[in-house]
Amino acid sequence: MMKQRQKEHKLSTAAKREARTAYLCLTPALCGLTFITYLPLLAVLVLSFFRWKGLTAPTFNGFDNYIRLFTTDPYFKDSVKVTIYFSILAVAGSMIYSLVVAMLLNRKIPARGFFRVVFYMPYILPAAAVYIGWSWLYEANFGLFNYILKSIGINSIMFLNDSDYIVPSLALIAVWLSGNLIVIFLAGLQNVPRIYHEAAEIDGANSFQRFIHVTLPSMSPIIFYNLIMSLITNMQIVVPALALTSGGPGNSSMFMTYLMYRYAFRSNQIGYACAISFVFFFLIAIFTLILFATSRGWIFYEGGDD
Amino acid sequence: MATAKELPDTAIMSEAGVIQWAEQGMLYDISEMYGPEDPKPLDSLAFKYADKTVAYSAANEILLMYYNKDMFDAAGVAYPPAVAEEAWTWDEFVEASKKLTLDKNGKTPNDADFDKNNITQYGCMVENLTWQLEVWALSNGGGFYSEDGSSLAIGEASSIEAIQRVADLYLKDNVAPLSSGLTDDGVQRSLIAGTTAMTTNGAWNIGTSLASAREEGLNYGVAVLPYMEEKVTICTGGPNVVFNQTEHPEEAMEWLKWYAREENNWENLISTGIWMPTLDSYYTDEEMTKKWLENPNFPEYEEAKSVLVDYAKDYTQSTAWYYVNNTNDFNELLGSVLGDVWTGKITVEQAITDNLPALEDAFAGNF
Repeated sequence: MMKQRQKEHKLSTAAKREARTAYLCLTPALCGLTFITYLPLLAVLVLSFFRWKGLTAPTFNGFDNYIRLFTTDPYFKDSVKVTIYFSILAVAGSMIYSLVVAMLLNRKIPARGFFRVVFYMPYILPAAAVYIGWSWLYEANFGLFNYILKSIGINSIMFLNDSDYIVPSLALIAVWLSGNLIVIFLAGLQNVPRIYHEAAEIDGANSFQRFIHVTLPSMSPIIFYNLIMSLITNMQIVVPALALTSGGPGNSSMFMTYLMYRYAFRSNQIGYACAISFVFFFLIAIFTLILFATSRGWIFYEGGDD
Repeated sequence: MATAKELPDTAIMSEAGVIQWAEQGMLYDISEMYGPEDPKPLDSLAFKYADKTVAYSAANEILLMYYNKDMFDAAGVAYPPAVAEEAWTWDEFVEASKKLTLDKNGKTPNDADFDKNNITQYGCMVENLTWQLEVWALSNGGGFYSEDGSSLAIGEASSIEAIQRVADLYLKDNVAPLSSGLTDDGVQRSLIAGTTAMTTNGAWNIGTSLASAREEGLNYGVAVLPYMEEKVTICTGGPNVVFNQTEHPEEAMEWLKWYAREENNWENLISTGIWMPTLDSYYTDEEMTKKWLENPNFPEYEEAKSVLVDYAKDYTQSTAWYYVNNTNDFNELLGSVLGDVWTGKITVEQAITDNLPALEDAFAGNF
C-alpha cells in the first residue's frame, strides 16, 4: 500500500498533463460554486450579525439576532417543530410508498410502462397547481374528501383549517409527489442480482424472507441515497405555506423556509432572516450527519469497503 | 436600490410598507402636491406620518357586502340594504343568514331537525383575512389600534367581542362555512362558487372576478356592511410615493398627479370595476358618478351609487396602515394567533390575552 502511494506521488509527464487538463475542466464548476454558493453562504453568515432593514446601511448587532431567535421570537420554536414533524412524516411516508410502488412496477404486469408514467407524473407537475388542486380535495365545507366522509356518515375533517391535521395532510401530498424516488428505486431493484434470489429460493426462502434478506440489503445504498435526498427536499418545504396556508392555522405550517422568506421579504428584516437560514443550515447538516453516522451499520456495499 | 441611492423618483408600493419607509426618512413630504385649485383625492386616501402626507392611494377600495339575489328570492328574504341609513345590525344580519342557510333536506338553522353536518348552502361568509377584521373591531367601538394609532386597542373587550362574533357565524350560528382567513380568494370560494348567499370583501372584486361571474349567470348585488355599534367601512389602495432621494421633487409630484388621474386609468382599471376613483369629485358630482357607474360592469346604478359613492364617502375610515407603523408584522402575528379560533379550539379572548405582549412587541416594531 505505502509503496504504491509513494509511486503515485511521482507523476509522469503524461499524468501531469492529464492533471492539468482536469483542473482546467474543473475551474468553471469551481468558479460557479465559489461565487454562487460559498461566497453567498459566507455573506449570509456575516449578515446574520447585522440589523438590516434593506433601506439603510446594515448595523452590527452581535449575537442579538440569534438571542432573539431563541428567546422572544413568537414563531421560531414552532417553526423548528413543524419542520421536523413534517419531514419525519413525509420522509417515512414517501420512502415506504415509493419502495412499495417501485416493487409493484418492477413486476411483469400489463401496461407497465403506462403505470410507471402515471406514478412519476405528480413529480413533474407545477408545484403550486398541485397544492391548489389538493386544497380543493381537502376543502373543509364542500371538498371531495369531506363529501365522501359525510356520505358514509363520518363528520367532516378540517384538513387544512385544523392545526392538528394540517401537517399530516400536507405530508400526504408530499408522499404523493415522490415519483422521483420511485424511479431511483426501480433502477436499484433492477440491479439486485438475480442470482441471490435464486439461491434463496433454492434454500426455501419465501417471498417475504427474500425481500428482507436479499432485496433490502442489496438496495441499502439506494435507500440511503433516497433517504438523504428526501430529507433535504422535505425539510426545505415551502410551497404549501406560500400557496395555501400562509404558515397557519396558528403556526402549524410555519415551515422554516417560509419563516425565512417572511422575515426577509415581507418584513424587510434581512439580517434576522439570515440568522434563521444559518440555523436552518445547521439543522439540515445535523440530520444529514446523523443519517451518515448510522449508515455504516445498515448499508451493504456489494463491492465491499476499500 | 435604497441603500445604493438608486431609487426611482416615484413608485407605487405596498400599503403596509409606507409608514416604515417614512419613518426611515425615505419618503418625500407630498402634502403640497395638490394646490388649492386642483381637484383633490378623498382625505381617507392620504397616508400620514408625523402630520405630513407621504403618499396617496392610486385607487380607492372599500369593504362592502356582495349577495346572490337569486338565493334571497328563493328564500323570500328582503335584500340587504344598499343605503347606509338602513344598514342591518349584526343581529339582523345573522337572522337573515339563518333563513338563507340550508341543509341537504332544505331545513334552516331555525328548524329543530336542522342537520348542521350536511349544509349545502350557507347564509354568509364574512371575510376573515386579518387586515379585514379591523372593520369589525371598529364597528363594535374598538379597533386594532387607538384612534391616533399611538397604542393598541386589540385587547379591548369590544375588539375581542367583534372578532368572536365573526368566528361564531361558523361555530355557533351555523350560517357560515369554515374559513381560516389564510388565502385571498374569499369571493371565489363563497359567492362565485354558488355556496354562499352573502360575503364581505373589497370593491376590487367587482372588476377582478364578479363581472365575469355575472356573465356566467351570477345575479349579484352590492350592499353596505352590517354593523355592531357604529356604521363603518375601511378603505385601502396602493400608495403612490415620491422618494426623497429624488433630485426633482416638483417634477415627480407633477408626474404623479398626472399619472394618478382617473382618465389615465379608465379603460383597464376604473371602468372595469377594479379601482374606485380617488378624486372626491366622483363622490360629490353626480355627473362624474354617472360617468363611472352607469356601466354594464357594475350592479344597477342606484344600488351601486349608494354603496360605492354615498357609503364610501360618509362612512369610510382609512385602514390602519395609512397612519400606523409595523402593521405588516402586527397583522401576520394576529393572523397566526387567531389560527385556532376559527375551528373553535380556543376563544378570541384566550388567543389575544395570551399573546398580548407579543402583539405589543410587533406593534412597537421590536420584530
